[in-house]
Amino acid sequence: MNTTSGARLDRATSAALVAAVLMPVALGLIFFYVPNDVDQGFSQRIFYFHVPIAMTTYALFAWGALNAARYLWTGDMGLDLRSYVPMHLGVIFGTLTLVTGSIWAKVSWGTWWYWGSTELNTFLIIFLFYCAYFMLRFSVEPGERRARYSAVYALLGVGLIPISVLAVHLGQDVIHPVTFTDRGANMDGTMLFTFLMALAAMLSLAVAMYLVELRGKRLDEQVTRLRRLAEGTR
Amino acid sequence: MRRFGERAALDGLDLRVGEGEFVLVTGPNGAGKTTLLRVLATVLRPSAGDVRVGGHELPRAAHRARPLVGYVAHGPLTYPGLTARENLELYAALYGVPDGLVGRALDRVGLDARGGDLVAEFSRGMAQRLALARACLHAPALLLLDEPTAGLDADGRDLLREVLAEPGRTVIVSTHEPGWFAGLATTEVPIRDGRVAA
Amino acid sequence: MSRRALVALVRKDLVLELRGSEVVLAMVAFVVASFVLFRFGLGGGRPAGGTRAATGMLWVAIVFTAMLALTRSFAREREHGIWDGLLAAPIDRALLWLARACSTCIFLVAVQVVALPAFWLFFLQDGPAPDYGVLVAAVLLADVGIAALGSLVAGLASAGRAREVLLPVLFLPFAIPLVLGAVSATTGTISPQTSGLHTLERLGYLGLYDTVFVLFGWGLFEFVVED
Repeated sequence: MNTTSGARLDRATSAALVAAVLMPVALGLIFFYVPNDVDQGFSQRIFYFHVPIAMTTYALFAWGALNAARYLWTGDMGLDLRSYVPMHLGVIFGTLTLVTGSIWAKVSWGTWWYWGSTELNTFLIIFLFYCAYFMLRFSVEPGERRARYSAVYALLGVGLIPISVLAVHLGQDVIHPVTFTDRGANMDGTMLFTFLMALAAMLSLAVAMYLVELRGKRLDEQVTRLRRLAEGTR
Repeated sequence: MRRFGERAALDGLDLRVGEGEFVLVTGPNGAGKTTLLRVLATVLRPSAGDVRVGGHELPRAAHRARPLVGYVAHGPLTYPGLTARENLELYAALYGVPDGLVGRALDRVGLDARGGDLVAEFSRGMAQRLALARACLHAPALLLLDEPTAGLDADGRDLLREVLAEPGRTVIVSTHEPGWFAGLATTEVPIRDGRVAA
Repeated sequence: MSRRALVALVRKDLVLELRGSEVVLAMVAFVVASFVLFRFGLGGGRPAGGTRAATGMLWVAIVFTAMLALTRSFAREREHGIWDGLLAAPIDRALLWLARACSTCIFLVAVQVVALPAFWLFFLQDGPAPDYGVLVAAVLLADVGIAALGSLVAGLASAGRAREVLLPVLFLPFAIPLVLGAVSATTGTISPQTSGLHTLERLGYLGLYDTVFVLFGWGLFEFVVED
């Protein structure tokens, strides 16, 4: 694993560069290119933030769960880190999803939280689950046991996501009496293009953050190890 | 090798015990004696290194090694709320041993009269005897004992000696009083800081 | 052989509970007290939402009561250092999970034998009655899910520094879809316009929940007990 390249571009830097290019492009498209929504006007543009961020969150959780499974399979501690870091970023992006979702709810339905939206409700359950992951992670001593327990709990999320989606759909009559069904899936070309650019920007930002944090965590571990060695020889 | 966090409890311990040998593991507290026995009893997963019990590699083939091993730990590993007989019947079911052997095992350690009493009422010495009966219930080929003489009364010590003298078994004992095992032990392995001390 | 081991492990839990009664009596006291709290907390009258709101309370009470049983799972083994004995035994480790899930499930049912009549007495006797068959079926299905998932999560929580606090935090996100499905199944029978298919679909969902987490518990428990 090459973490100390000088002149050559390493993966973290190149991902950061891609994000740095895509992000302004996406912002430009969102604010100046795509036309105002017929019904909801200017404010509907929050859609181009909310949905890509939510998708990025799910992608991060999926990557974390995949590495958790790989960790349990192989026992390689490097995979523990690669499972933890996306979860960590996922909670940050998840918070942003809830905030932007709440704004969007205010814009479209006039309330800060619309209990009729199955997407928001599902996301809430899953977000609580990933917060609990952190509670577990922080209350167990670092080491193999923490890695194993985190991985097991992360994998339980793989079961929880479809179960929650189903529960929220079945129980929608309980959560909110009037179900809201029409969803703007029919985007025209301009909107779709802007949306995809926003998604690509968010994903590249997440990848860059992931690689940078991974590098930081690895350096942390090296420092701890070196300090321990130094103490041992003293 | 077994690592705890960043520190290895057993590090580069190289030990080979042949069939029928009686090995004493000695060393100061914290040397890794208990860790070694727990790894061999398959309750602690070795994080690196090559560990085999009866030719079965741990932790991959632990399920094959388990029926071969009897383990007497620090604690008696029995439920205080159950009677001595109930405890042994539970372990008989776990090891797939007929219930009929439970009476004989209690008899062997001199607890046949107390089989219906709750373990909570047992003295330390009686609990240790029960632990011995539990570990020998399935006639293991390898017997692991962690400080078996601690807290044992004179009668209990005689009994322990008798049981350990039975032939046809490999025995590994961790102890602070190697002198007591004179005449039984074939090898003594002093360990220190998780290694065999030279 | 493994069937005999399972029976022996479950019987052990039941015998210990009958002799010492650590969990079940406490759970009964807790669940009845929480009904009183709900009743008085809502101003002594029937809850505004009628029977619908009342069944919602029942489910919240059931989940919180189950927490008591789950915090005590594996407590005996931990306190008396018996784990090593069970782990050294030549049985599949998943069997230890299955046995614990079975005995937890039995405890939950034992508590509900008292709790459901008490619930009827406090909230239902003078209102429109739900379909009791569906209610009992939903409770039993939910018990299986709580016991299966809870026994796994209790194992995870036991490593934490504050395990009594950690367990509810780890468990409750999973309780949300369970309660949602259960409430939807039981309230469906109150309003006359909903069809039998609606109820069957929701009971089916609870069955699916159970299946998923029984599979997860069976598959993942060995990673939880390895020291």
